[in-house]
Amino acid sequence: MSGTRALGPSLAVTGALLVVATHVLVAQTTAPDITGSWLRQGFTVGVRPTGQQGPTPPPPAPPPPLKQPYLKEWQDRIQKIREADAKGQPIATNAVACLPEGMPGMMTATFPMEILQSRGQITVIEEAYTQVRRVLMDRPQQKLEDIEPGFYGHSVGRWEGDTLVVDTIGVKENVRYQNVPHSTEMRITERMQLKAPDVLWNEITISDPTVLEKPWTFTFAYQKMKDYTLLEYICEDNREFADDQGRQKIRVDPAR
Amino acid sequence: MARRTGLWSIVLAVLVVAPALAHHSFAVYDHTRTLTLRGTVTKFQWTNPHGFIEMDVPQSDGSMKHYSVELTSINMMQRVGWRSNMIKAGDKIQVVVAPLLSGEPVGLGMEVVLADGKTMALPVPAIGSFKRTDAQQ
Repeated sequence: MSGTRALGPSLAVTGALLVVATHVLVAQTTAPDITGSWLRQGFTVGVRPTGQQGPTPPPPAPPPPLKQPYLKEWQDRIQKIREADAKGQPIATNAVACLPEGMPGMMTATFPMEILQSRGQITVIEEAYTQVRRVLMDRPQQKLEDIEPGFYGHSVGRWEGDTLVVDTIGVKENVRYQNVPHSTEMRITERMQLKAPDVLWNEITISDPTVLEKPWTFTFAYQKMKDYTLLEYICEDNREFADDQGRQKIRVDPAR
Repeated sequence: MARRTGLWSIVLAVLVVAPALAHHSFAVYDHTRTLTLRGTVTKFQWTNPHGFIEMDVPQSDGSMKHYSVELTSINMMQRVGWRSNMIKAGDKIQVVVAPLLSGEPVGLGMEVVLADGKTMALPVPAIGSFKRTDAQQ
Protein backbone atom coordinates (compact mmCIF):
# COMPACT_ATOMS: atom_id res chain seq x y z
CA MET A 1 0.00 0.00 0.00
CA SER A 2 2.67 2.39 1.03
CA GLY A 3 4.47 1.57 -2.25
CA THR A 4 1.36 2.52 -4.21
CA ARG A 5 1.03 5.74 -2.24
CA ALA A 6 4.66 6.55 -2.97
CA LEU A 7 4.15 5.70 -6.62
CA GLY A 8 1.16 8.02 -6.93
CA PRO A 9 2.96 11.35 -6.65
CA SER A 10 5.91 10.20 -8.73
CA LEU A 11 3.51 9.06 -11.47
CA ALA A 12 1.79 12.40 -11.30
CA VAL A 13 5.13 14.21 -11.60
CA THR A 14 6.19 11.98 -14.49
CA GLY A 15 2.86 12.58 -16.16
CA ALA A 16 3.19 16.31 -15.73
CA LEU A 17 6.71 16.23 -17.09
CA LEU A 18 5.48 14.21 -20.07
CA VAL A 19 2.77 16.77 -20.73
CA VAL A 20 5.31 19.60 -20.57
CA ALA A 21 7.78 17.68 -22.73
CA THR A 22 5.10 16.86 -25.27
CA HIS A 23 3.97 20.48 -25.29
CA VAL A 24 7.51 21.67 -25.91
CA LEU A 25 8.01 18.99 -28.57
CA VAL A 26 4.75 19.89 -30.30
CA ALA A 27 5.61 23.59 -30.15
CA GLN A 28 8.99 22.82 -31.66
CA THR A 29 7.73 20.47 -34.32
CA THR A 30 4.85 22.68 -35.38
CA ALA A 31 7.05 25.77 -35.80
CA PRO A 32 7.68 25.89 -39.55
CA ASP A 33 11.24 25.55 -40.79
CA ILE A 34 12.14 28.92 -42.27
CA THR A 35 15.90 28.48 -41.87
CA GLY A 36 17.80 29.20 -45.07
CA SER A 37 18.69 31.88 -47.59
CA TRP A 38 15.93 34.06 -49.02
CA LEU A 39 15.68 36.82 -51.62
CA ARG A 40 12.89 39.27 -52.46
CA GLN A 41 10.79 37.78 -55.23
CA GLY A 42 11.18 39.47 -58.58
CA PHE A 43 14.77 40.63 -58.02
CA THR A 44 16.74 39.21 -60.88
CA VAL A 45 19.70 41.61 -61.06
CA GLY A 46 22.86 39.84 -60.00
CA VAL A 47 21.10 36.77 -58.69
CA ARG A 48 20.13 33.30 -59.75
CA PRO A 49 17.11 32.45 -57.61
CA THR A 50 16.28 28.80 -57.28
CA GLY A 51 13.35 26.86 -55.94
CA GLN A 52 9.67 26.83 -56.64
CA GLN A 53 7.82 29.99 -57.51
CA GLY A 54 4.98 30.73 -55.13
CA PRO A 55 1.49 32.13 -55.32
CA THR A 56 0.61 35.48 -56.83
CA PRO A 57 2.92 38.11 -55.31
CA PRO A 58 1.48 40.48 -52.71
CA PRO A 59 0.33 43.92 -53.90
CA PRO A 60 2.87 46.77 -53.92
CA ALA A 61 3.18 48.91 -50.82
CA PRO A 62 0.74 51.82 -50.59
CA PRO A 63 2.20 55.27 -49.84
CA PRO A 64 2.72 55.87 -46.12
CA PRO A 65 -0.40 57.37 -44.47
CA LEU A 66 1.52 60.27 -42.96
CA LYS A 67 -0.11 63.08 -41.01
CA GLN A 68 0.54 66.69 -41.92
CA PRO A 69 3.04 68.30 -41.89
CA TYR A 70 5.02 65.04 -42.22
CA LEU A 71 3.28 64.11 -45.48
CA LYS A 72 4.15 67.43 -47.11
CA GLU A 73 7.74 67.20 -45.87
CA TRP A 74 8.06 63.66 -47.22
CA GLN A 75 6.58 64.61 -50.60
CA ASP A 76 8.94 67.59 -50.81
CA ARG A 77 11.87 65.33 -49.96
CA ILE A 78 10.88 62.82 -52.68
CA GLN A 79 10.52 65.68 -55.17
CA LYS A 80 13.98 66.98 -54.25
CA ILE A 81 15.48 63.51 -54.69
CA ARG A 82 13.90 63.22 -58.15
CA GLU A 83 15.07 66.66 -59.22
CA ALA A 84 18.59 66.04 -57.90
CA ASP A 85 18.77 62.70 -59.74
CA ALA A 86 17.56 64.36 -62.95
CA LYS A 87 20.36 66.90 -62.62
CA GLY A 88 22.92 64.15 -62.05
CA GLN A 89 23.58 65.43 -58.54
CA PRO A 90 21.91 62.85 -56.30
CA ILE A 91 21.38 63.57 -52.62
CA ALA A 92 23.61 61.43 -50.41
CA THR A 93 21.81 58.82 -48.33
CA ASN A 94 22.91 56.77 -45.30
CA ALA A 95 23.95 54.08 -47.78
CA VAL A 96 26.52 56.40 -49.37
CA ALA A 97 28.33 56.31 -46.01
CA CYS A 98 28.01 52.49 -46.03
CA LEU A 99 25.61 52.63 -43.10
CA PRO A 100 23.25 49.67 -42.84
CA GLU A 101 19.61 49.96 -43.87
CA GLY A 102 18.34 48.95 -40.41
CA MET A 103 14.69 48.18 -39.75
CA PRO A 104 12.55 47.63 -41.67
CA GLY A 105 14.74 48.40 -44.73
CA MET A 106 16.98 45.37 -44.29
CA MET A 107 13.94 43.11 -44.64
CA THR A 108 13.53 44.22 -48.27
CA ALA A 109 16.19 41.55 -48.94
CA THR A 110 17.39 42.94 -52.25
CA PHE A 111 20.57 41.02 -51.44
CA PRO A 112 20.13 37.51 -50.05
CA MET A 113 18.96 37.24 -46.43
CA GLU A 114 19.60 34.29 -44.14
CA ILE A 115 17.21 33.20 -41.39
CA LEU A 116 18.55 30.95 -38.61
CA GLN A 117 16.30 29.30 -36.03
CA SER A 118 17.95 28.33 -32.77
CA ARG A 119 16.82 27.76 -29.19
CA GLY A 120 15.18 30.94 -27.93
CA GLN A 121 16.30 33.08 -30.85
CA ILE A 122 15.73 33.64 -34.54
CA THR A 123 18.55 35.47 -36.29
CA VAL A 124 18.23 37.37 -39.55
CA ILE A 125 21.39 38.16 -41.49
CA GLU A 126 21.22 40.42 -44.56
CA GLU A 127 24.15 39.98 -46.91
CA ALA A 128 24.39 43.68 -47.84
CA TYR A 129 26.40 45.49 -45.15
CA THR A 130 26.41 42.23 -43.11
CA GLN A 131 23.33 43.37 -41.20
CA VAL A 132 22.31 41.17 -38.27
CA ARG A 133 19.16 41.31 -36.17
CA ARG A 134 18.17 39.03 -33.34
CA VAL A 135 14.59 38.11 -32.55
CA LEU A 136 14.36 36.92 -28.93
CA MET A 137 11.62 34.31 -28.70
CA ASP A 138 8.85 33.92 -26.16
CA ARG A 139 9.67 36.77 -23.87
CA PRO A 140 8.00 40.09 -23.22
CA GLN A 141 9.08 43.21 -25.03
CA GLN A 142 11.16 45.59 -22.96
CA LYS A 143 9.96 49.06 -22.03
CA LEU A 144 10.94 51.63 -24.63
CA GLU A 145 12.82 53.67 -22.03
CA ASP A 146 15.01 50.64 -21.28
CA ILE A 147 16.13 50.25 -24.90
CA GLU A 148 18.94 52.24 -26.42
CA PRO A 149 17.90 53.21 -29.97
CA GLY A 150 19.68 51.36 -32.76
CA PHE A 151 19.51 50.49 -36.45
CA TYR A 152 17.67 47.20 -35.87
CA GLY A 153 15.77 48.06 -32.70
CA HIS A 154 14.85 45.45 -30.10
CA SER A 155 12.83 42.49 -31.39
CA VAL A 156 10.85 39.80 -29.60
CA GLY A 157 8.91 37.06 -31.35
CA ARG A 158 6.51 34.17 -30.92
CA TRP A 159 4.89 31.57 -33.10
CA GLU A 160 1.13 31.96 -33.47
CA GLY A 161 0.40 28.64 -35.14
CA ASP A 162 2.27 28.72 -38.44
CA THR A 163 2.95 32.48 -38.25
CA LEU A 164 6.03 34.07 -36.72
CA VAL A 165 4.98 37.34 -35.10
CA VAL A 166 7.80 39.76 -34.34
CA ASP A 167 7.52 43.01 -32.42
CA THR A 168 10.26 45.62 -32.86
CA ILE A 169 10.73 48.95 -31.09
CA GLY A 170 13.70 51.23 -30.46
CA VAL A 171 14.75 52.10 -34.04
CA LYS A 172 16.84 55.26 -34.38
CA GLU A 173 15.00 58.22 -35.86
CA ASN A 174 17.60 58.69 -38.61
CA VAL A 175 16.98 55.13 -39.85
CA ARG A 176 14.27 55.90 -42.39
CA TYR A 177 12.77 53.33 -44.71
CA GLN A 178 11.89 54.99 -48.04
CA ASN A 179 12.73 58.35 -46.43
CA VAL A 180 9.60 58.09 -44.29
CA PRO A 181 10.04 59.89 -40.96
CA HIS A 182 9.16 58.23 -37.68
CA SER A 183 9.17 59.05 -33.99
CA THR A 184 10.83 57.13 -31.17
CA GLU A 185 7.46 55.47 -30.63
CA MET A 186 7.46 53.62 -33.95
CA ARG A 187 6.48 49.97 -33.54
CA ILE A 188 7.06 47.41 -36.29
CA THR A 189 4.98 44.24 -36.30
CA GLU A 190 5.99 41.49 -38.67
CA ARG A 191 3.91 38.42 -39.49
CA MET A 192 5.95 35.85 -41.39
CA GLN A 193 4.30 32.82 -42.92
CA LEU A 194 5.31 30.21 -45.49
CA LYS A 195 2.95 30.51 -48.48
CA ALA A 196 4.65 27.61 -50.27
CA PRO A 197 7.63 25.48 -49.22
CA ASP A 198 9.99 27.95 -50.92
CA VAL A 199 8.00 31.16 -50.50
CA LEU A 200 7.89 33.22 -47.31
CA TRP A 201 5.72 36.29 -46.88
CA ASN A 202 6.43 39.01 -44.35
CA GLU A 203 3.52 41.33 -43.64
CA ILE A 204 4.98 44.42 -42.04
CA THR A 205 2.84 46.90 -40.13
CA ILE A 206 4.34 50.14 -38.93
CA SER A 207 2.44 52.03 -36.29
CA ASP A 208 3.47 55.44 -35.05
CA PRO A 209 0.69 57.64 -33.67
CA THR A 210 2.94 60.73 -33.82
CA VAL A 211 3.51 60.74 -37.59
CA LEU A 212 1.02 58.26 -39.10
CA GLU A 213 -2.76 58.70 -39.49
CA LYS A 214 -3.15 54.93 -39.28
CA PRO A 215 -0.81 51.92 -39.39
CA TRP A 216 1.13 51.43 -42.64
CA THR A 217 1.04 47.85 -43.87
CA PHE A 218 2.89 46.24 -46.77
CA THR A 219 4.11 42.75 -47.56
CA PHE A 220 7.43 41.44 -48.83
CA ALA A 221 7.56 38.02 -50.50
CA TYR A 222 10.81 36.08 -50.37
CA GLN A 223 11.98 33.23 -52.57
CA LYS A 224 14.14 30.49 -51.06
CA MET A 225 17.65 30.29 -52.50
CA LYS A 226 18.44 26.61 -52.14
CA ASP A 227 22.07 25.74 -51.48
CA TYR A 228 23.08 29.42 -51.36
CA THR A 229 25.59 30.47 -48.71
CA LEU A 230 25.72 34.16 -47.90
CA LEU A 231 28.84 35.95 -49.09
CA GLU A 232 30.79 38.38 -46.95
CA TYR A 233 30.19 42.10 -47.47
CA ILE A 234 32.68 44.58 -46.07
CA CYS A 235 32.80 48.25 -47.09
CA GLU A 236 36.50 47.96 -47.72
CA ASP A 237 36.98 50.89 -50.09
CA ASN A 238 34.02 53.23 -50.23
CA ARG A 239 34.86 55.97 -52.72
CA GLU A 240 31.43 57.58 -52.47
CA PHE A 241 30.99 60.48 -50.09
CA ALA A 242 28.65 63.36 -49.29
CA ASP A 243 30.02 66.81 -50.18
CA ASP A 244 29.35 69.92 -48.09
CA GLN A 245 26.05 70.40 -49.98
CA GLY A 246 24.93 66.87 -49.04
CA ARG A 247 25.34 65.64 -52.62
CA GLN A 248 26.71 62.21 -53.47
CA LYS A 249 30.18 62.39 -55.02
CA ILE A 250 32.83 59.87 -55.95
CA ARG A 251 36.47 60.18 -54.97
CA VAL A 252 38.62 60.32 -58.08
CA ASP A 253 42.24 59.29 -57.70
CA PRO A 254 44.18 59.42 -60.98
CA ALA A 255 47.30 58.03 -59.27
CA ARG A 256 45.85 54.53 -59.11
CA MET B 1 -5.50 69.66 -59.77
CA ALA B 2 -7.10 66.21 -59.85
CA ARG B 3 -4.67 65.27 -62.58
CA ARG B 4 -1.76 66.56 -60.54
CA THR B 5 -2.87 64.51 -57.56
CA GLY B 6 -3.21 61.46 -59.78
CA LEU B 7 0.30 61.91 -61.13
CA TRP B 8 1.62 62.36 -57.62
CA SER B 9 0.03 59.10 -56.57
CA ILE B 10 1.76 57.29 -59.42
CA VAL B 11 5.09 58.94 -58.72
CA LEU B 12 4.87 58.15 -55.01
CA ALA B 13 3.71 54.60 -55.61
CA VAL B 14 6.65 53.97 -57.93
CA LEU B 15 9.08 55.51 -55.47
CA VAL B 16 7.68 53.53 -52.60
CA VAL B 17 7.88 50.19 -54.37
CA ALA B 18 11.24 50.86 -56.05
CA PRO B 19 13.73 49.67 -53.47
CA ALA B 20 17.32 50.74 -53.11
CA LEU B 21 18.87 48.04 -55.24
CA ALA B 22 22.27 49.60 -55.14
CA HIS B 23 24.45 51.05 -52.46
CA HIS B 24 24.03 54.48 -54.04
CA SER B 25 22.38 56.32 -56.89
CA PHE B 26 23.82 55.87 -60.39
CA ALA B 27 22.44 59.29 -61.38
CA VAL B 28 25.98 60.70 -61.39
CA TYR B 29 26.59 58.75 -64.61
CA ASP B 30 25.53 59.83 -68.11
CA HIS B 31 22.52 57.76 -69.15
CA THR B 32 22.58 59.06 -72.74
CA ARG B 33 25.92 57.72 -74.00
CA THR B 34 28.54 55.08 -73.39
CA LEU B 35 32.27 54.98 -74.13
CA THR B 36 34.35 52.00 -75.17
CA LEU B 37 37.67 52.01 -73.33
CA ARG B 38 40.53 49.88 -74.71
CA GLY B 39 43.60 49.77 -72.53
CA THR B 40 45.82 48.08 -70.01
CA VAL B 41 44.70 47.18 -66.51
CA THR B 42 46.77 48.66 -63.68
CA LYS B 43 44.58 47.17 -60.91
CA PHE B 44 41.50 45.00 -60.52
CA GLN B 45 40.02 45.92 -57.16
CA TRP B 46 37.76 43.20 -55.73
CA THR B 47 36.05 45.21 -52.96
CA ASN B 48 32.69 46.30 -51.64
CA PRO B 49 30.60 48.39 -51.75
CA HIS B 50 31.83 48.37 -55.36
CA GLY B 51 34.61 46.77 -57.33
CA PHE B 52 36.88 48.84 -59.59
CA ILE B 53 39.01 48.35 -62.67
CA GLU B 54 41.87 50.83 -62.91
CA MET B 55 43.19 51.13 -66.45
CA ASP B 56 45.40 53.22 -68.71
CA VAL B 57 43.77 54.09 -72.02
CA PRO B 58 45.93 55.31 -74.94
CA GLN B 59 44.53 58.46 -76.57
CA SER B 60 44.51 59.34 -80.27
CA ASP B 61 47.13 62.07 -79.65
CA GLY B 62 49.56 59.50 -78.26
CA SER B 63 49.03 60.42 -74.61
CA MET B 64 47.78 58.05 -71.92
CA LYS B 65 44.66 58.69 -69.85
CA HIS B 66 43.88 56.85 -66.64
CA TYR B 67 40.31 55.70 -66.04
CA SER B 68 38.64 54.25 -62.96
CA VAL B 69 35.80 51.91 -63.89
CA GLU B 70 33.27 51.51 -61.12
CA LEU B 71 31.65 48.10 -60.98
CA THR B 72 28.67 46.86 -58.98
CA SER B 73 28.92 45.09 -55.62
CA ILE B 74 31.29 42.13 -55.97
CA ASN B 75 28.55 40.02 -54.35
CA MET B 76 26.25 40.67 -57.31
CA MET B 77 29.15 40.08 -59.70
CA GLN B 78 30.04 36.79 -58.03
CA ARG B 79 26.45 35.58 -58.21
CA VAL B 80 26.44 35.98 -62.00
CA GLY B 81 29.78 34.27 -62.51
CA TRP B 82 32.48 36.88 -61.95
CA ARG B 83 35.64 35.82 -60.09
CA SER B 84 38.44 37.89 -58.58
CA ASN B 85 41.06 36.21 -60.80
CA MET B 86 39.39 37.04 -64.11
CA ILE B 87 41.34 40.28 -64.53
CA LYS B 88 44.89 41.10 -63.47
CA ALA B 89 47.30 44.00 -63.86
CA GLY B 90 48.78 44.08 -67.35
CA ASP B 91 45.71 42.55 -69.04
CA LYS B 92 44.61 44.26 -72.24
CA ILE B 93 40.84 44.61 -72.00
CA GLN B 94 37.91 46.51 -73.47
CA VAL B 95 35.25 48.02 -71.26
CA VAL B 96 31.97 49.74 -72.12
CA VAL B 97 31.23 52.45 -69.55
CA ALA B 98 28.68 55.16 -68.86
CA PRO B 99 30.93 58.17 -68.13
CA LEU B 100 30.61 60.44 -65.11
CA LEU B 101 28.54 63.53 -65.94
CA SER B 102 31.18 65.68 -64.24
CA GLY B 103 33.68 64.81 -66.98
CA GLU B 104 36.14 63.23 -64.54
CA PRO B 105 37.80 60.05 -65.90
CA VAL B 106 35.47 57.59 -64.19
CA GLY B 107 32.87 55.33 -65.79
CA LEU B 108 30.27 52.85 -64.67
CA GLY B 109 31.16 49.47 -66.17
CA MET B 110 28.46 47.83 -68.30
CA GLU B 111 30.37 45.12 -70.13
CA VAL B 112 33.96 43.87 -70.22
CA VAL B 113 35.82 41.96 -72.93
CA LEU B 114 38.47 40.07 -70.97
CA ALA B 115 42.04 39.47 -72.13
CA ASP B 116 41.03 36.00 -73.39
CA GLY B 117 38.25 37.51 -75.53
CA LYS B 118 35.39 36.41 -73.29
CA THR B 119 32.63 39.00 -72.79
CA MET B 120 31.28 39.46 -69.27
CA ALA B 121 28.26 41.63 -68.50
CA LEU B 122 27.94 43.56 -65.25
CA PRO B 123 24.73 43.27 -63.22
CA VAL B 124 23.98 47.00 -63.17
CA PRO B 125 20.50 47.73 -61.78
CA ALA B 126 18.16 49.24 -64.39
CA ILE B 127 20.84 48.77 -67.06
CA GLY B 128 18.16 49.37 -69.68
CA SER B 129 17.98 53.01 -68.60
CA PHE B 130 21.49 53.57 -70.01
CA LYS B 131 21.64 54.28 -73.76
CA ARG B 132 24.46 52.34 -75.40
CA THR B 133 26.38 54.41 -77.98
CA ASP B 134 29.80 52.81 -77.43
CA ALA B 135 31.83 55.78 -78.75
CA GLN B 136 35.51 54.88 -79.00
CA GLN B 137 37.74 56.51 -76.43
